[in-house]
Amino acid sequence: MNPEPFLQLDRVIHEKGRLAIMSMLAASPELSFTELRNALSMTDGNLTTHIRTLQEEGFVAVSKSYAKNRPLTTCSLTPGGRKAFASYIDLLEQIVRQNKPK
Amino acid sequence: MEPNQAAEHLQAIRTLMERSAVYRRALAPIMVYCGVVGIVGGVVGGYWLPNSARGFVLYWASVAVVALFGSFLMVRRQSFKDGEPFWSPPIRRVVEALIPPFAVGAFLGIWFACVNQDIDGCGVLVPVWCVFFGLGIYSAGFFMPRGLKLFGLFYIVAGILLMWGLLNQTVRFPTAAFPNSLMAITFGGFHLAYGIYLYFTEPRGKAS
Repeated sequence: MNPEPFLQLDRVIHEKGRLAIMSMLAASPELSFTELRNALSMTDGNLTTHIRTLQEEGFVAVSKSYAKNRPLTTCSLTPGGRKAFASYIDLLEQIVRQNKPK
Repeated sequence: MEPNQAAEHLQAIRTLMERSAVYRRALAPIMVYCGVVGIVGGVVGGYWLPNSARGFVLYWASVAVVALFGSFLMVRRQSFKDGEPFWSPPIRRVVEALIPPFAVGAFLGIWFACVNQDIDGCGVLVPVWCVFFGLGIYSAGFFMPRGLKLFGLFYIVAGILLMWGLLNQTVRFPTAAFPNSLMAITFGGFHLAYGIYLYFTEPRGKAS
C-alpha cells in the first residue's frame, strides 16, 4: 500500500472533533456555536478549543453578534478551510481506492 | 490509516454533512398563512355546507391545494432572496418525508368519499387526517428545527384523542357544520397558534 496519501492528510483536520466541526460547516453556510455544540454533543470548552485551533489555521471564521439581546457566535468555513476540507476528502478517497480489488 | 478506516471516516463525514444541512427557512409566515387559510376554509365551508362526504373531501382538498401552493411560493421567494436554489437537498428530504403519510391521508379521504354519502360522518375523517398530517410533519421534523417534530406529535396526539372522543361519543356532532368547524380548529387554529409562537421565537435572517 502506498503510504503517500496518508502522510499528506492534514493533521489539524484529521482529529476526530475538528473533522466533525469541519464536516458540519462544509454543508451549511454558517452554524451557531449552540447548534454545533448540540449536534456534536461536545462541551463548551472542548468546542471552543477545537474552533480556536481551526481559526488559527485559517480554516474557520468566527463572528460575534447579538440576537434578541443575547450574544450569538456563528462559525463558517473560510475559502481556505473549504479547500483544505476538499483536499482531505480527496486523500481519503484515494486511500479507499488504493485497496479496492481490481 | 487503513482503507476501511478511511471509508468509515468518509461515511461519518457524509452523515455529519447531511445532519448539518437542516432546512431552516422562516416557518412563521408559512404557518400563519396556512392557519388563516384553514380558518377561512372552515368558516366558508361551514356556511357553504357541502352536504355530502364527496363535497366535503373535494372542498378540503381544494383548501389544501391553496395552502400548499401559497407555502410553495413563500419558500421559493425566500430561496431567491437568499440566492440559493429552491430544490436544495434539505427541502428535498423534507418533501420526501412528507409525501408517504400525506398520500395515505389523501387516499383515505378519497376512499371515505367513495363509500360514504353523509356529511355527518366526515367528522371521523378529521382526526384521521390529523394523525397522518402529524406523521408527515413528524417525519419532516428530522430535517427541520426540533419544534416541528413536537408540532407533528401534537397533531398525532390530538387526532387520536379526537378519534377516541368521537368513537366513544364523548364528542358529538352538534350541527352539520361540525366537520368544517373541526377542520378550522385543527388545521387552521393549530397552524395559526404555532405560527404566532414562531413569529416571536424563530431566529430571523438565517437560512440554509
